[in-house]
Amino acid sequence: MHIPDGLITNTPSITTAIAMWIASLTFLAWSWKKAKATYSHSITALLAISSAFVFAAQMINFPIAFGTSGHLVGGTFLAVLLGPYAAMLSMTIVLLMQAFFFADGGILAFGMNAFNMAVIGGLSFFLIKLFTRGSSGSRRFIPCVFVASWLSVMAGALVAALEISPAFADGIMVTVPSMLFYHAIIGLGEGAITAVLISSLQRVQPAIMGGLTLLKEKTKL
Amino acid sequence: MKKHLAVIAAIMVFLAVFIPLASSNPDGLERVVETFGVEEHAPFWNGLMSDYAIAAIGDSYVSTLLAGVFGTFMVLLLGFLLGKAMASKKSKILE
Repeated sequence: MHIPDGLITNTPSITTAIAMWIASLTFLAWSWKKAKATYSHSITALLAISSAFVFAAQMINFPIAFGTSGHLVGGTFLAVLLGPYAAMLSMTIVLLMQAFFFADGGILAFGMNAFNMAVIGGLSFFLIKLFTRGSSGSRRFIPCVFVASWLSVMAGALVAALEISPAFADGIMVTVPSMLFYHAIIGLGEGAITAVLISSLQRVQPAIMGGLTLLKEKTKL
Repeated sequence: MKKHLAVIAAIMVFLAVFIPLASSNPDGLERVVETFGVEEHAPFWNGLMSDYAIAAIGDSYVSTLLAGVFGTFMVLLLGFLLGKAMASKKSKILE
C-alpha cells in the first residue's frame, strides 16, 4: 500500500502529504526517545536482520483475488520482535530504502507511507499487549498476533484511503470502501504469515524475542 | 555471529526462490487507482533502480534478484547503524 508521488496532484493532497510528514516525524521522534530509554541491552543484530527480512518479504507479492496482489507489510512482526519503538524506526528504514532506491512509495508521500506502515505497525504492539495482558505465554498470544496484524493492515489501508482521496473525483466515498475491501483480504495473508513466523520463532529461538521480553516488562507508554 | 550469517543467507535463498513466483498483479492500492481511472502524474524521483530492476541487466530475474540483494544489504547496514546508535546512550564517547 505504498502511495506514489503521482497521486499527489492538487492542493488538498499536498497539504495532506505535509501534515503526514509532520505526524510521522513526531511519532518517530517519540519512538527514538523511547527506544534509547527502553532497551537495556543491544538489539542491534536482531533489528538489522529482521528489518532486512521485512524488506525482502515486501518484495514478494502474493495473489489474492480479482487480479490483485498483496504483500507482507511486517509492521506487527517487527513490533512483536523489537517492541513498538524500534519497530517504527526499523520499518522507516525499510520504507526509506524502498522510496530512495526503488521508487516504491513516493518522497513527498513518504510521511503518509511512514504513518500507514511504520507508525501504525509499531502501535499494533499495544493491542497485543492489552489483549494478552502482557504475556507471550498466554494461549491468546498467537491469535492476538493474527488479529493485530490484520487490524494494522486495515488501519493502514483506511488512513491511506483518506490520504489518497483528494486524487479521486468521488473522494472517500470510493477510496475507503475499495481500499478496505482489498486489504481485508490482504490482511488475512499478513495475519497468517505473521502468526506462522512468530510462533515458529517462539519455538525455535525464544531467547531472541526482544519485543516479547518487553511485553513482560510492562512497557511504559 | 554464525547464526546471523545463516539467517542472512536464508533471506537471500528466500529471495532467489520466491522472486520468480511473486505475483505481478497490481497491489490493493494500485488496483483501487486503476479501477477508478485516476491518472497519476509522472513522479519527480524515479529511484536509482525503479521497480526493483537494474536497467543495465537484461534478464529480469537476475536484475530483480540483484536489486533485492542490494536493498536487503542496505537495510541490514542501516538497521545495524540504527541499533548501534540506539544502544550508545550509556557509553558516551568523547571526541
